[in-house]
Amino acid sequence: MSQIDVHGLAKHYRVHRKAAGFMGSVRSFFQRQYQNVKAVDDIGFQIEEGEVVGFLGPNGAGKTTTLKVLSGLLHPTAGRARILGFTPHERQSSFLKQITLVMGQKNQLNWDLPAMESFIVNQAIYDIPVDAFRQTLAELTELLDLDPLVDKQVRKLSLGERMKCELAAALLHRPRVLFLDEPTIGLDVVMQTRIRQFVAEYNRRYGATVILTSHYMADVTALCKRVLVIDHGKLIYDGDLRAMIARLAPYKVLKLILRSPVTCEALSPYGQVVDCNGLRAVIRVPRETATRAAAQLLGAVDVDDVTIEEPPVEAIVSELFDRGQVDDAPTQREGAGNAP
Amino acid sequence: MRYLRLLSIFYRNSLYTEMEYRANFIANFFMSAFWLAFAILGLHVFFYHRDQIGAWGYYEAMLVVGFYSLFNGLIEALLQPNLSRVIEQIRMGTFDFVLIKPVNSQFMASLRHLSIWKLADVAMGLGICVYAMVRLGLVPSMGDLIAGAGFVLCGAVILYSIWLMMVTSAFWFVRIDNISELFTAIYETGRFPVSVYPSWMRGVLTFVVPIAFITTFPAAALLGRAKVPLLWVALLLAAGLFCGCVCFWRYAVKRYSSASS
Repeated sequence: MSQIDVHGLAKHYRVHRKAAGFMGSVRSFFQRQYQNVKAVDDIGFQIEEGEVVGFLGPNGAGKTTTLKVLSGLLHPTAGRARILGFTPHERQSSFLKQITLVMGQKNQLNWDLPAMESFIVNQAIYDIPVDAFRQTLAELTELLDLDPLVDKQVRKLSLGERMKCELAAALLHRPRVLFLDEPTIGLDVVMQTRIRQFVAEYNRRYGATVILTSHYMADVTALCKRVLVIDHGKLIYDGDLRAMIARLAPYKVLKLILRSPVTCEALSPYGQVVDCNGLRAVIRVPRETATRAAAQLLGAVDVDDVTIEEPPVEAIVSELFDRGQVDDAPTQREGAGNAP
Repeated sequence: MRYLRLLSIFYRNSLYTEMEYRANFIANFFMSAFWLAFAILGLHVFFYHRDQIGAWGYYEAMLVVGFYSLFNGLIEALLQPNLSRVIEQIRMGTFDFVLIKPVNSQFMASLRHLSIWKLADVAMGLGICVYAMVRLGLVPSMGDLIAGAGFVLCGAVILYSIWLMMVTSAFWFVRIDNISELFTAIYETGRFPVSVYPSWMRGVLTFVVPIAFITTFPAAALLGRAKVPLLWVALLLAAGLFCGCVCFWRYAVKRYSSASS
């Protein structure tokens, strides 16, 4: 049996709605109007031990809710999830001792004390024997370069430094399943890379299963071979990441800054011109020829700066959602609209 | 055993945290002394024109003030700081970190922090009790002492349970500052023996919001006025409220919807 096994999982919320403005507030004070929101709607998948899987989807798609149901924080409305043979929402301590949750936007460390104190609290909470604790801490210190950080008050650390400590605190008990919810949010590019490398290394060393949600396509492309795309609570793609990108976004985005104005027509031979206002232009070019197109452009027009970018994940996902399913998607995709 | 060890680590951390803010400690000490003096002054005013109120003499009523201060210390040291943190955590969604830990969530949420300096109130309360007993020339019998301790224990459990139920309601209402203010206002009535109040209020303070069990009855026990049957009632009430708050908590956690990120 798979390590994570999910069938027909659903989570519905009842949220109250409030019209804007004073009268809306008054009305909602006396009579609440509720609406049923299907945050997760009939999702099913299996994940094997040691896999690194990315959850993709726009804001409010249900990624975080799914993660919270899997980690036992939320009771599912319907369906079932089995993780390591446990039912998550029963929150048995032998289950909780084998998983961990890291949230990029929330911290568990004590703000006023050095991170080390929070580590010691977690040691007691997870009942970690002293030897194992020392060893794990030494390894994490080496991997994350924690040495200069653990003795400073958490409030004095930078966001990235704090994230490193958060990760360490969450991994002291050597969990077998890691739930990472936007672990790199708000971090600068260097720190993002650092965290990514760490997650990859951790997965390689300990064979831990990693489930990751992120807004940054780079997180997902660097770490995950497999992605699950969720939108409006439904699973719309489950499979290989490269295959998905190749199928849905067989292009890269060239962003040009020009020294002298150029007409859109002049740029159109290189690819699909998405935006062009004289001194700036955005062109979609086929993946394989992107570098060549950029080189040609440098020669042909008066370019001040050019960047080659991956299409943003939101664009890919919304495109995916427009089509419903990847498998139904026609292979030819030019002119499908939906500028990033 | 593991839970005791956890408590000792939690409270050591609380102590470290409070030591980060030194000025707070000194201010706190003066606050406690001030409020205690205020409570005794209030008592003094009450007894200015007469020797007895509701069959309680001055130093007898001072025992009640002592227990009032003791439990007030417990509220401020233990219940209040955890309450405000849980509410904050529910609002911000960091309560997730409490639920994800392999430790009883009610234990973690309600006993995690301790404002150590507020324990000064507890010590002062005990001091006042001892002082009143000395002035009364009161040497309670072993039985009365045990009954008194029993009432104090039940009082603590009752207080904890009521408080936890208020916290639990935050899962639905999110902000409950006013609910806890209301309780604090009601708790204020515990400064005086319950028999000084008109009979309808006495009923409310005994059976609806059982403040009488918290401050009046321990004092009555020391004076040999509370008999064993009343202790049974206190035990039953404490047990019932505790079970109630545990069930309510479990129900709330099951319904917890977490703040989105």
